[in-house]
Amino acid sequence: MEARGSAVNTPASRPVTRRSKSYGRSCVEAPSYFWQTPGHLTVLKIPTSRGAAKSQLITDKVDPEHIALLVKNEWKLSYVTPLHHFRHTQLKSYSRHLAAFIAAEKQQGVAVEVGLEAGFKVTFTAVLGLAETDEDAETVFIQIQSKPAFAAAADAPKVVWRGWLTCVNGDPEYLRSLPPDFVSLPLFCTSGAESLTTLVKTWFERAFDCNFGSLALNSTTLNWLAALWTGCHPTCNIRHLKLAWSLPTQPPMDVSYTVNPQDAWELWNSIHPEESTDDKIDIKEVQSFISGLETHFFRHFKIYLSAGTLVKVSTALGSAHLDGKIKIGNSDYITTLLTLLTESALLKMPT
Amino acid sequence: MMSDLSSLAGLVSEPSGEIDSSASNRSLRLAEKEKRKGEADPFGLAVKYLSQVEAGTVVRGNDELERNMLVVETVALSKGLPPELITVLLDLALSLNAGTVNCTRVLKFLVPATVVPQEAVVKGVSWLCAGKMPMNAQVLFVRWVLTVFDLIDCKDNLRSIYGFIFSFVTEENLCPFICHLLYLLTMREHVHPYRVRKLLDIQAKMGRQPFLTQLLALYKVFRPDLVTLSLPSKVRTGFKNHSSTWKVALSAVQRKNKGAVLVDQSLSLDVKEKPSTRKRKLHHLAIPPLSSAFDSNSNKVFCLQELRSFKELLENIHSIELPAQMGSLLGSSLALHYLDCVQDESASLRLNFWLGHSLQEEFLLCPGDGSSDNTSEARRFLSTILFSQQFLQEGFSSTESFLYKFLSVWDGSLLRPQILDLLSDIPLMPSVYMHKLLFEPLKQLYFTSTVFFKCSVIECLNSMLVKWLTWHSVSALEGGLDISLNSNSTMTMTLSGFMDSVMELVRFVGLLASEGLRLENCHVLLLNQTLAFYETVCDMFLKYSLPLIIMPPAGVFYPALFATDSVSVDRLGYIMYRYRKNLTLAKKQEQQREQTFHISRNTYKEFNRNLQAMVNSMWNSCWCIPGSDIEIDKDLISLSKVAEPWCRFDLIHHPALFSYAIEFHQRCWPERKNVDLGSIKTGKYWNWYIEFLFNQGFDGLNNFIQTNTGHGSGLSSQDDRQPTSQT
Repeated sequence: MEARGSAVNTPASRPVTRRSKSYGRSCVEAPSYFWQTPGHLTVLKIPTSRGAAKSQLITDKVDPEHIALLVKNEWKLSYVTPLHHFRHTQLKSYSRHLAAFIAAEKQQGVAVEVGLEAGFKVTFTAVLGLAETDEDAETVFIQIQSKPAFAAAADAPKVVWRGWLTCVNGDPEYLRSLPPDFVSLPLFCTSGAESLTTLVKTWFERAFDCNFGSLALNSTTLNWLAALWTGCHPTCNIRHLKLAWSLPTQPPMDVSYTVNPQDAWELWNSIHPEESTDDKIDIKEVQSFISGLETHFFRHFKIYLSAGTLVKVSTALGSAHLDGKIKIGNSDYITTLLTLLTESALLKMPT
Repeated sequence: MMSDLSSLAGLVSEPSGEIDSSASNRSLRLAEKEKRKGEADPFGLAVKYLSQVEAGTVVRGNDELERNMLVVETVALSKGLPPELITVLLDLALSLNAGTVNCTRVLKFLVPATVVPQEAVVKGVSWLCAGKMPMNAQVLFVRWVLTVFDLIDCKDNLRSIYGFIFSFVTEENLCPFICHLLYLLTMREHVHPYRVRKLLDIQAKMGRQPFLTQLLALYKVFRPDLVTLSLPSKVRTGFKNHSSTWKVALSAVQRKNKGAVLVDQSLSLDVKEKPSTRKRKLHHLAIPPLSSAFDSNSNKVFCLQELRSFKELLENIHSIELPAQMGSLLGSSLALHYLDCVQDESASLRLNFWLGHSLQEEFLLCPGDGSSDNTSEARRFLSTILFSQQFLQEGFSSTESFLYKFLSVWDGSLLRPQILDLLSDIPLMPSVYMHKLLFEPLKQLYFTSTVFFKCSVIECLNSMLVKWLTWHSVSALEGGLDISLNSNSTMTMTLSGFMDSVMELVRFVGLLASEGLRLENCHVLLLNQTLAFYETVCDMFLKYSLPLIIMPPAGVFYPALFATDSVSVDRLGYIMYRYRKNLTLAKKQEQQREQTFHISRNTYKEFNRNLQAMVNSMWNSCWCIPGSDIEIDKDLISLSKVAEPWCRFDLIHHPALFSYAIEFHQRCWPERKNVDLGSIKTGKYWNWYIEFLFNQGFDGLNNFIQTNTGHGSGLSSQDDRQPTSQT
């Protein structure tokens, strides 16, 4: 009884330490890190405004050969949790390990020595210069070439898979909060056989204790892209603004809506005047741009597009699909696109 | 000893032995005695004989040898052999002193009773290296080692001759068994590039053999930087080298000597990765296998998969290396012990990233297809997390944040027991967040679900409260010691902040319970869950040293007081009794030292009001509760035409106790036809009735009545019927 009594003596102001010890940071300890929408709780706040897309000669910063690799393919997007003990200086050894891993997976049950040439050649390359801030880690490009056993010596090895991990303008607060032995490259773009994608992901998961998940884009991201790309028209011809909607009718109806670039730009300019002093674009402006397009469509076809979902946006600068597939059309605007995608990927990070 | 042996050697007619001619009478007498003793113990004699068989002994037609062999064989197969005999006999067999036939024969009956001395096996390997044994004997020896491997007392010397053992992999016949033995012995320090290359050469020669694959897979676990391999899900794994006849004999003997040997295999190593089910494309719910980190090359550290026992863990706790995937720690309890000591922020982040990702992909991002296959996998996964959290007595932060997200989309039925159990592990949080993250979604589910769900929610919140209080009482006793090393993983909260959170939780449950009881017509299960919760609440000060006393709301108190089942009424009695104890102590302390803490007047008032209501209705048979707002108009009651309404809830007429009163009445006046319960109240019958009632196990009511009326069962008279409680 006495012992209990003495515990009560504690002044009410004595701090009580929650012993959460080693199992991670509490998700409620830093209030500024905590936002919630139903079914979704993230450490990051979804920005409601962002700067207009600006053209920059990316080839000044990045090796044009590298840029060429990124531009021509359609990429399937995934998000990755931060990589533990990933080092940009070890890319050569990663190449060897991944090659051996793929070889072993392809011939189940046969052990493969790491470092021996065996059917696949993997190359990891650092794409320097894509990073925008000091917190961004440099992009890593991976290429897999297959060397068929019976190929003639003169045959060039065939590229069977490409992928890259990137981070452009990642939320600095989030990136800074990670301990130094983590490298965050949250966006993973792949192109090639699905089976190889799975193998690469598995290898990364084992080597760097990270996890992959598919990254579907949401309508808001597509709305942003439509507006940002349209805003570029005066400096770079976007050729067309193509939008695709899916309407929940029975049977489902797909609507493809192509807008003349000049018309689209004029609509956008009426909402967000080019000469406006404020460089920032607000989400409200983006929404009124999209609803302007929808109203126009309704006037002609008496169909409310807002009842459906925007599934695809495409211009000459690039295209993006709701299911997480993108194409980069013009490398000069790559930063804007990657910033948006990095943001989407970071929003998927488990807290 | 030496002379003993030599004289014995003389007694048994061993061809090579010679009788010492100079033996005195005395030694002859001794030998005679020894002989008699030997006759009494033929086993000892036989053993002695066998231990002296030398090289070159004639085996064929040697009846002596045969007879002694038979004696030892019989004993060995029925009782097993002690460690020192294992050494002797193994040496006899492998040295081929008793011939090749007997070599295999001895090996076959070499059943250990307790343990196998390591040195015996090491010596056996040296005989193997001598290269004289015929192949079948070699194979038999290695298989014997494999069979008794778990019984070898210590394996460090065996590990140090790893290289010698490894050299036999090139022997085609021995290879499968040697691979198995190596598999059992391998530590990370043994995995070298030249050994990997050797095994790969053999693989190239022999094709993919399960034993090779298995050993290489283990090499990969230790040194993923040297070799890589993928095990097809269909492959036949495991070594099938144990001889079943041995195993049967061994387990029979072991059963007899039960408890003598404890096979210690708490962390069994499994190189076989979980077969990825073909049905599910996304299998994010598998616990990854333990494996070394990919870039670790240091041989000085231990990796978790090398540990076999808790003792080893303790001895090496400072030099253990974390596995490649932190999630793999959840697979074994030994690893969880280690996780409990890990103070590395990166490690916990890795674990939480993995766990958070798995939960998010399964439950939030991929809408479940509802197949049963899916659910059972998810159930297994959640159960593993639950097991780990209960083991560590703490929830993972990723589970916590997952639950906040999940609660708002949960239908209240998917994996309900697991989700609610996880919910009860949620650590303490500031009261400002509780409402939005916890109460709002829970409230919606609660009020739209069945009474059983309501019960589970109350139960879950009760268990959450108990965990919070336990945590508090532990940390309070630790005297404010700041255990946490990392400021990142620490949440600081003042005592008053903690009390606010507890208060919020108790209030919330009070609301859920009173509304729930109203909606469900005071369902007896719900009432009991609620009372269980208040059993925790009423004792917060005494039991958990938390200076906080919160009374149940009227919506809980009155349904319990007027409940029709006696268990609820008894529980309420207990709760009121404990409240009184807590309040009395609080008051005492408050008077002794002025400003420790302050229990508000209102709490005392509330308690007294409840107490009076309870004593009045149960003991004093009157309903007036002075100053209470729930007084009922007398005329209104008279409309109900209930006779003597004021005593309807006393100890005799209370609907929960009525049947006991009837039974008592029948026992007292078995001949009476007209039941007159009023007669119980007269004279000694009243005391008898009270005693009778409390003998039915109503300890709560008993305590309540005793402390509040001074009426000990059978101790005082009817005149004591006075409530004496005015705290």
